[in-house]
Amino acid sequence: MIAEQLPQYFVSGITAGSIYALIALGFCLIHNATRIVNFAQGEFVMLGALTTISFVSDLGFPIWLGAILSVFIVTAVGLLLEKGPIRHSKDASPLTLVMITVGASIAIQGSGMVIWGKDAHTLPPIGGYHYIRVLNASVIPQTIVIVAVVTVLLLLLYFFFHRTMVGKAIRAVSENSEGAALIGIPVRALVTASFGLSGAIGAIAGILVTPLTTMSYQSGLMLGLKGFAAAILGGFGSFPGAVFGGFLLGLMESFGAGFVSSTYKDAVAFLVLLAILFCRPQGLFGKVQVRRV
Amino acid sequence: MKKWLLIIVTLTIGLIATGVIQATERNTEQPIKIGAFFALSGPASSIGTPTKLVAQMVVDKINKEGGINGRPLELVIGDTESDPTKALMVAKRLVEREKVVALIGPTRTDTGMAVKPYIEKKGIPTVMTVGGDPVIAGGKFGPYKWTFKAPQRTFVAVKKIYGYLQEQNMKKVAILHANDGFGRDGLRWLTRLAPEFGLKVVGVESFGVNDPDMTTQLVKLKNTGADVVICWTIGPAGAKVAKNYRQLDIKMPLFQCHGLPDPKYIELAGDAANGTIMPSTRLMVADQLRDDDPQKPVVQEFIRLYKEVYHYDKKYPINTHSGYAWDAIMLLTIAMKKAGTDRAAIRDELEKIKGYIGVSGIYNLTPEDHNGLGTDSLVLVKIVDGKWKLLEY
Repeated sequence: MIAEQLPQYFVSGITAGSIYALIALGFCLIHNATRIVNFAQGEFVMLGALTTISFVSDLGFPIWLGAILSVFIVTAVGLLLEKGPIRHSKDASPLTLVMITVGASIAIQGSGMVIWGKDAHTLPPIGGYHYIRVLNASVIPQTIVIVAVVTVLLLLLYFFFHRTMVGKAIRAVSENSEGAALIGIPVRALVTASFGLSGAIGAIAGILVTPLTTMSYQSGLMLGLKGFAAAILGGFGSFPGAVFGGFLLGLMESFGAGFVSSTYKDAVAFLVLLAILFCRPQGLFGKVQVRRV
Repeated sequence: MKKWLLIIVTLTIGLIATGVIQATERNTEQPIKIGAFFALSGPASSIGTPTKLVAQMVVDKINKEGGINGRPLELVIGDTESDPTKALMVAKRLVEREKVVALIGPTRTDTGMAVKPYIEKKGIPTVMTVGGDPVIAGGKFGPYKWTFKAPQRTFVAVKKIYGYLQEQNMKKVAILHANDGFGRDGLRWLTRLAPEFGLKVVGVESFGVNDPDMTTQLVKLKNTGADVVICWTIGPAGAKVAKNYRQLDIKMPLFQCHGLPDPKYIELAGDAANGTIMPSTRLMVADQLRDDDPQKPVVQEFIRLYKEVYHYDKKYPINTHSGYAWDAIMLLTIAMKKAGTDRAAIRDELEKIKGYIGVSGIYNLTPEDHNGLGTDSLVLVKIVDGKWKLLEY
């Protein structure tokens, strides 16, 4: 009996996990450039989804066009967030900047409520509702699309950070921003770019998950929290870690629900998370932080 | 000289008299204040905002028809922000500063529970529009002398579903519920009432309303050999369950609770919504009601005002909950027409209301039953080709 259900647990975990992984990636991008946690990341997800819905349902654009436009818009929001409040904050200590992102999150959520109202909205899934049967599991094509996009994004990010000058410069900034500035790297411009990029990834995440989860002005918050947990699990700042952490969190929830009890599924997932962090405080893929005195 | 004095005295008396008359006239026309506090922002705002609009609509209607014994009603609005602490602050403001006679609202069960001790202590007749039962359950949930509620209680909806299952000769049910207060309340009644209807609960699973995927739980329930699956949740989570249900190609009928009949469900679940059965108020199938249904004229009048006069349906399409604010204010109006503005007298009269034909059902209140709706207030509806079909009275 359990062997029959196993494939579906796995699919369910992968579906949820791929969503968490995408959001965790956005967290890592900004963290790597600035060493701060951007609590408005969930709001980028919500904005991306809801602007696409506006383009598609209200203006009648084809979905790919709506998605591209919305990614650009959310990228702009990310850039504005950095160019405005983050850059012009008088006190640039990390805690202040984190509080600014919390404020931005509340502001974006509020504007979302005014623009799109209080109801949930949805998008048609890519590939429709032609469920694919694999073993005993039933898979919606959208899940495969999400997993594919996560993989491609991960490869692109790897390429970007290890093979291009800009990417390498961003990594240099995250290692030591003063040193990077000394050798002539335009630190501010790169920080701005990371905010834009993380806005774009957030938007892509939102557009991809909406057919599965539906989206309302306040959905970003919960998704952001799960993505944050996934990022921590993987070792905050590590891209493979973020993706792995996302999938692991999704699978733990699903198997926790399947084998233990759905009532305690979040408890099971977070117990495992705590246990991992207890043994490896830096997360699964995190580097050990060496603090010089 | 005497003549002059007489004229002055007459004039003075005349002036005072008109003044007094005018003053008394003003007094009779002074509005009766009712406090209305709903979740106008926060997670429950998609329910709270239309509730407020309906409350305003019915107050306008009552005032046009002459008000309460000649005095108009005035709504004083408050926003609970879906937050229990805020709800209590709003209730205090409405009672202590605005001096309202009675209250309607709030929207969520937990906000209702937060204000209940205060209104019970102060003695404010309150008709709540919350879904959950604890506000009028008594026992460990505290006394409910002053608290009333307009929406059906959970067990009424459970009995409606179970009655139908018994008729259809179904024996085994599987339950999927949200792990919030509303979902657990449903689970409690579903398990408690099952034996009464000859039913056996063969599986129970739960989910978080924000979970992206519920197939794990559903695949477990699919293998329990149940005749039906009953899902107890409100909001978009119900649509997610329907989609996952279709994804797994589960053949047994899916029942949802009385909180879900809403055009939004069909919009979000799309094709997967077809086949779902749920208990609903008559609002969802107003065009299919029998002509001898005593509620038919009331429901039609409500829909006419809502759609054609106030045009609320463009932004907030009618759902099963739309009528609760109407009924809450109507119940208060009936009591106030008899009792005036004395709070204790209003409370006593509320308990005596029998046979009020409302939008959401026919209310028969008693000192023990502060809701007054029975299973006859609900009908079973089924979604066929994306439309609401009346399945059974």
